[in-house]
Amino acid sequence: MSASVQTKHVVYDDGIVRAFTLASLIFGVVGMLVGVIIAAQLSFWQANFGISWLSFGRLRPLHTNAAIFAFVGNAIFAGVYYSTQRLLKTRLASDFLSWLHFWGWQAIIAAAAITYPLGLTQGKEYAELIWPIDLAVVVVWVVFAINFFWTLGKRNEKNLYVAIWFYISTIVTIAVLYIVNNLQLPTSLVHSYPIFAGVQDALVQWWYGHNAVGFFLTTPLLGLMYYFMPKAAERPVYSYRLSIVHFWALIFVYIWAGPHHLLYTALPDWAQSLGMIFSVMLWAPSWGGMLNGLLTLRGAWDKLRTDPVIKFYVVAITFYGMSTFEGPLLSVKSVSALAHYTDWIIGHVHGGTLGWNGFLVAGIIYWMVPRLYGTKLFSKGLAEAHFWIGTLGMLLYVVSMWVGGVSNGLFWRALGPDGFLQYPDFIEGLRALRFLFLMRLVGGTLYLTGFLIMTVNIFMTVARGKAVNVETDVVGFEKTPGPNTWKLIAGAPMVYSAIVIALSILLGVSGVITSAAVLAAGAVVVVAAILGIGVTRQGQGTTWHRFLEGKPLAFTIIALVAILIGGLVEIVPLVMIRSEVPMMTNAEGVMVESPFTQQPYSPLELAGRDIYIREGCYTCHSQQIRPFRHETLRYGEYSRAEEFRYDHPFQWGSKRIGPDLARVGGKYANLWHYLHMNDPRSTSPDSNMPAYMHLMTRQVSTDMMMARMEVQTKVGVPYTDEDIKSAGPNILSQGTLIADDLLTQGVPIDPQSEMVAMIAYLQRLGRGPQAITAEEPVATSEVN
Amino acid sequence: MSDYKHDVVFDHEYDGIQEFDNKLPNWWLFILYATIIFSVAYWLLLHTYGLGELQIEKYDSEMAAAQELMLAQASAGGITDESLTLAASLPDKVAEGQALFNTYCVVCHSARGEGLVGPNLTDAYWVHGGKPTDIHRIITDGVPAKGMAAWGSQLGPTRVEKLSVYVVSIMNTNVSGKAPEGELVE
Repeated sequence: MSASVQTKHVVYDDGIVRAFTLASLIFGVVGMLVGVIIAAQLSFWQANFGISWLSFGRLRPLHTNAAIFAFVGNAIFAGVYYSTQRLLKTRLASDFLSWLHFWGWQAIIAAAAITYPLGLTQGKEYAELIWPIDLAVVVVWVVFAINFFWTLGKRNEKNLYVAIWFYISTIVTIAVLYIVNNLQLPTSLVHSYPIFAGVQDALVQWWYGHNAVGFFLTTPLLGLMYYFMPKAAERPVYSYRLSIVHFWALIFVYIWAGPHHLLYTALPDWAQSLGMIFSVMLWAPSWGGMLNGLLTLRGAWDKLRTDPVIKFYVVAITFYGMSTFEGPLLSVKSVSALAHYTDWIIGHVHGGTLGWNGFLVAGIIYWMVPRLYGTKLFSKGLAEAHFWIGTLGMLLYVVSMWVGGVSNGLFWRALGPDGFLQYPDFIEGLRALRFLFLMRLVGGTLYLTGFLIMTVNIFMTVARGKAVNVETDVVGFEKTPGPNTWKLIAGAPMVYSAIVIALSILLGVSGVITSAAVLAAGAVVVVAAILGIGVTRQGQGTTWHRFLEGKPLAFTIIALVAILIGGLVEIVPLVMIRSEVPMMTNAEGVMVESPFTQQPYSPLELAGRDIYIREGCYTCHSQQIRPFRHETLRYGEYSRAEEFRYDHPFQWGSKRIGPDLARVGGKYANLWHYLHMNDPRSTSPDSNMPAYMHLMTRQVSTDMMMARMEVQTKVGVPYTDEDIKSAGPNILSQGTLIADDLLTQGVPIDPQSEMVAMIAYLQRLGRGPQAITAEEPVATSEVN
Repeated sequence: MSDYKHDVVFDHEYDGIQEFDNKLPNWWLFILYATIIFSVAYWLLLHTYGLGELQIEKYDSEMAAAQELMLAQASAGGITDESLTLAASLPDKVAEGQALFNTYCVVCHSARGEGLVGPNLTDAYWVHGGKPTDIHRIITDGVPAKGMAAWGSQLGPTRVEKLSVYVVSIMNTNVSGKAPEGELVE
């Protein structure tokens, strides 16, 4: 040992790990409990007790966000901090930053738990947090990043283990996704409009939404798996080279797959196809992680009988394998045609969250907590009980959602011998799901029960143990000669990769003849790469990637570039080309925007739309009619991108617990909407929709709408100054039309009530602008 | 790779974790390569060579095929005031229509057609025409401005005809309900 390398005494910061672990448990209970409550509301609409802030549309974002960011998020931070210190043989860089991270994150969760029930939301799935909380998320994430990379900087282990690779990709990708998807202009302290609208907002949202799954629920957990699985199994990881191949393939490919959430929508075909094929190509990289997890157990399978931790890991990784096969399958256009908007998607996502995330986290907590408190697990029997009750719960959940999803999809598309809908009554489909909704409720309750058993078990373990901070003596590393950061980035593997990616993009945009040339060039480069770099020699420690593992900065830069490419290739053209704007040739032969185009919402309709977003209507109703005969028969003409160009944010939705609303305007009378929102069962027997009586007593504020229209002009909606100035009279006159119509049918209503605004918005959906002056009556008392 | 040996552990370890450097399983590599080849081929066929239909072309084909079916059915028999009136005198036909009426119409027109959100269908007053073929037309096309849905595409012509028969059968039965609207049709 040379003089430059010294033995150091390191005390790991295990206190922060304990804090994040216990927070994860507590918020796990909360998140799952809210899930059980909203599942109950689907079966029993009374389960919101008539309280607006307990209604499905407001609690569903709380459930998804609590499960993702509070339960899994806290568990990730616990596991990352525990494993990173040990893998790098150093204490976390800054205790202050660690605790700022912890309390900042818990404050964000508390803020989410207050704002969601109040209806403060952006109306974008898994990104519902309002802008001040978004800013806090960014700040706390940056704190986490600084703390993490600083720790990398003072590490006593030269090379980064594969777990760290996954953590790095998580930190940079989530930062990029979160910031871009939350670009928004505030209208007040608690409200904002996103800068993107319609089809562009949809693409950005699902680029984010899909990669929240990819880089929040997958990559960090794969990193955790690579640490905690071999620790528990006490076996070597199956294959280092598989780690390399599947890591880079996974992070590069994952980012492209977002548009598979938008198949058969108004998103252009090319973007849809990219989403589909990259999802298909994601199959093998995902299964690489499953293989390295399961095959690491070779020689240790006997532990499955005795060690509950291994049991949880095996089921978790099996569910990961199942979900990552199901994902590509669902991304195939024709499968999506059946499954989209149904419970199959809900089943798919819960296979991933309950199975992969929930059980992996459980295994980690059962393994880690006794070590953090210098004791043994309180009860192995209770852990076994958790395992079996949880597994049974998941199976009931996932199977009921599969059956419900497929049958509901078939129900919607069925055409009779006359070529028309076999089942025109939407509610009949909902009725058929009742039993399956109950099964899902039972399954979810069982899973929560298992989780509660774990919580008790862990708190008992904590109670009988004593917090210990592991101390150890570590040896630093010597500086070894090797290429520097920039030489690594310009290394042969990077050059070949860059050429192949550039050729692939060129292939995408090339014509019939050039495509052949590009393909040939691609083949030549691939062969040259194989000859030039060669295949990694077993056991050799001097490959390009080995050097890269010793250079965190180079590694991070390359990971960042890898995850930026997909997003850039999909989002930039869509934002630049503006294919959603209808064009025409004018008298001088110049292309100009067609005057026959979508008009902005009237102030009252915009107010209604904001209420629609506030109440979370998009959690059950889509606004996107796909180009299938069975959809256009049921809902009207298929949706076109142009119709959504002023929709900040888009509200296409992803689930149809209720029918699509894209063209509901003019379908029913004002009175019908009034009756329906007051008591949905009065117009739609057996509906499970919440009642919205509270819209009767709340009023639309003219000042607020003027401020909001002002901001809308800044994000590209062509309101004139006159439009904004006359917002007050406009709201009153359009509201009066509806109120007068209702009055003639015996319903007195405040013309400026939120109920009237909501009716105005619903009547606008799928139609041109509604008359907003009382001189042009459109709605009269009689109905046919 | 002639010197390849299975399950050789690197001499390096991370916090006690060792790594093998085993070959990638062939079946896994097969999935990897097959999905890449599929993806390139899919893109080229659909987007470069223009073989296969994009979503709107596919929809147009589906609609064209359906049009032929519609045409074949339309030529089967026309709907006239007489045909609807005749069917309305046949209890079986009326019962079929009533079942549909109970599912789709009662929420607005009430259980016996006496009106609620929508007008009373049992009196002699009609807003948009009271001939049997008027009824058929209104059910098919709706009156969007007044909140009467267009049921033609959602229910299909067979159901719309059955519903029309039922409505014709309850005309002028004068169930007490919503006050008369529209014009008197003798």
